[in-house]
Amino acid sequence: MTESLRQMWDYLSSDGAWSGRNGLPSLTWAHIRISVVAMLIASLVAVPAGVLLGHVRRGALAAVSIVNIGRAIPSFAIMALLLPFSLRYGFGLGFWPTVVALVLLAIPPIFTNTYTGVRGVPDEAVEAARGMGMRGGELVRKVEVPVAVPLIITGLRVSAVQVVATATLGALVAYRNLGTPIVTGFTSPDKGPLLAGALAVSLLALLTDGLFALAERRLVPWRSAAGRTADTGVAAEPPAPAEPAALAT
Amino acid sequence: MTAALLAADEPLVRWDWVGDHTDEITELFWEHVTLTVVAVGIGFAISMVLALVATRWRWTYEPLAGFCSVLYAIPSLALFGILVAIPFFGLGFRTAEVALVGYTLLILLRNIVAGLDGVPPEVREAADGMGYEPWRRVLRVDLPLATPAIVAGLRIATVTTVGLVTVTALVGEGGFGDLINDGLSRDFSTPIVVGTVLSVALAIAFDLLFVVIERLLTPWTRDRTPRERSSGDVVASPLASAPAPAGGRL
Amino acid sequence: MRRRHLRVGAALLALTMLGAACGDDDGDETDAGDDATAPADIPDGPAIRIGAQDFGESLILAEIYEGVLDDAGYDVGLVEVGGFRDLLFGAFETGDVNLAPDYVASQLEFLNDQAGEATSDVDETFALLEPRLEEDGLVGLTPSEAVDTNAFVVTQETSDDLDITTLSDLAENGADLTLGGPQDCESNAFCIPGLERVYGLDMASNFEPLDAGLVATSLSEGAIDVGLLFSTDGRIASEGWVLLEDDQQMLAADNVFPTLSQEVADAYGEDLTDLLDSISAELTTDELIELNKRYDVDKDDAEDIADDWRADHGFGD
Repeated sequence: MTESLRQMWDYLSSDGAWSGRNGLPSLTWAHIRISVVAMLIASLVAVPAGVLLGHVRRGALAAVSIVNIGRAIPSFAIMALLLPFSLRYGFGLGFWPTVVALVLLAIPPIFTNTYTGVRGVPDEAVEAARGMGMRGGELVRKVEVPVAVPLIITGLRVSAVQVVATATLGALVAYRNLGTPIVTGFTSPDKGPLLAGALAVSLLALLTDGLFALAERRLVPWRSAAGRTADTGVAAEPPAPAEPAALAT
Repeated sequence: MTAALLAADEPLVRWDWVGDHTDEITELFWEHVTLTVVAVGIGFAISMVLALVATRWRWTYEPLAGFCSVLYAIPSLALFGILVAIPFFGLGFRTAEVALVGYTLLILLRNIVAGLDGVPPEVREAADGMGYEPWRRVLRVDLPLATPAIVAGLRIATVTTVGLVTVTALVGEGGFGDLINDGLSRDFSTPIVVGTVLSVALAIAFDLLFVVIERLLTPWTRDRTPRERSSGDVVASPLASAPAPAGGRL
Repeated sequence: MRRRHLRVGAALLALTMLGAACGDDDGDETDAGDDATAPADIPDGPAIRIGAQDFGESLILAEIYEGVLDDAGYDVGLVEVGGFRDLLFGAFETGDVNLAPDYVASQLEFLNDQAGEATSDVDETFALLEPRLEEDGLVGLTPSEAVDTNAFVVTQETSDDLDITTLSDLAENGADLTLGGPQDCESNAFCIPGLERVYGLDMASNFEPLDAGLVATSLSEGAIDVGLLFSTDGRIASEGWVLLEDDQQMLAADNVFPTLSQEVADAYGEDLTDLLDSISAELTTDELIELNKRYDVDKDDAEDIADDWRADHGFGD
């Protein structure tokens, strides 16, 4: 083990680790880039869908099922599966199979949490708003979404961390990112780049989680991090009282 | 861009290949199942112990859950990589299982603890009043009542593990993941499709299995109001959702 | 470090019963040839384990060795080392492998830390290799005439656009191009280090490590500009790609030959070595191309390809 750590140290102190297309900065940037793109696309799809269905109070079954199904589909397999399609239709290797798989991965938590959040707005609040003359769009904008914000952010957070973690696998379909040194390191005697890559991506995942936690705290100061339990249709139940708040990350 | 190597007439799935390789596919099926069951089994055993410790000595919960959380956050590939770099582990079954078990811990720990915590205090007091010693009470009263949450956790852990096993192919033991890997390295779509479809099918099969188990073990939750029923079985165990808190799922 | 101990400790505790029983730690093993009708003239000796590197040709050759030896009654099995030459030699060292097909010049350069001693004369190169093998307790048998060197390949377009037909041209006009190849390239004497040493071309920072099977696809998709393939890859011709000429003789005599441990050679003597030699005698470069085509393009299994080859050449039942 110490041998491997020493290799990592050697690697990190070398020029190659910090420059060029195979250097850590370049790989990290590629990693962040694809994660952000995937999250944007997923949010653009999932948030409106979740708000809409939550508002009209339909689709509870979908909300639960989509997460269960999403959990059953291994992202690595999807990326691998998309590769021949991607090639056949001229989308090439690397980016497209990876980003599509990541989007599919990111949608369920965002959708379900958004749905649960909007759906869970107390009936009294909705009625009161209606009583004040609010309809449809206004109701959604001024009441439902703001109340749902905590859960939406939780959904985004869960998604984002999963995306950052899973983007690593893109290395296997030739999308060069922090996963690349890890994968090539499996079968190499030099574990330096592997450990460096593993460390970097773990930090990136934790950082992403931390950033969202911070956002949560800023935007929703009256809530503790207990909200994170609601990654699927918790059916508007508040987190179980026994659920310990604030986990380490 | 020519896609000459994947000519338009090359089928996505060559059924003759599938037919020729049924033996191998069956073998991989058992490998996949074994990896999953062993991981969840060991993870469950460890989590149970940790959960019992955490309910007895409350203060230990946060550190334990925190540790599991961080473990869970480590992207699977990174965790595999780190383990492979340790001479004791390297490539193979051991490495795969350690990582797989590690990923189940957070899910199972949180669900078991939440389940145990969910036992109404009145029931506990009644049991104590009837003369149950603490450990016997936990065994005969708390755990059975915590069953829905525990089973929900097992369900999530199992399905998640099935997905993760596709990645363990990279450390040499991967069930259907081996097919996917083979296809990737040979630029051959058939095993990729077969491997993906089968692992999804396996995950769904396990999921359904647990739904059935849940129903069997907790018949009292079958009586629900129409509204709750429409949200599916989630309501029966509010912690079915439990955590996919930090990423690392795949 | 506490976390790790916790995890390892817990895993160990739980896995003691499983640990021993379950699986290899390095590489897959297919069924060892178990033979109920072993000819009486096979002396006692160690089980033969053939190592295959992580590319089609190596696997096919290993399967051929296995099939032939198995038929002759030896206790033989195949081990996929899961990587390249460094892992193969690691396996030789631990004894997990004691026979493997390899390539003369590449192996020499691996053992001499890329000193650049190999030439395009196979006898010369082999003569330099033998003493180094002896140091490691290994023996090399007579090289075959079948040659498989690295091949740097570009598409016709790239060649035309940048006027590149030789590796010197590449050094001059193509220094910014992306090179894609197996991860092995970074340390393989006839890949990146070789380009640097002989042509002064540093492609390390423009290198894209890819699975051996994806290189060709990446090249045709334009994901990489230069592909590191093997000279026996049939797709070079069928795709109309341009194999860059090695005008300054970086590449050398990479003839196929069996490497085995001294122990195995001693235990089984001439019967074994003659048998392996006869395989080498039957291999030609054109055949390698054909074998690879079946693997890469037709997607046949290495075992089947090996079986057919053996049947065609009079080995086997």
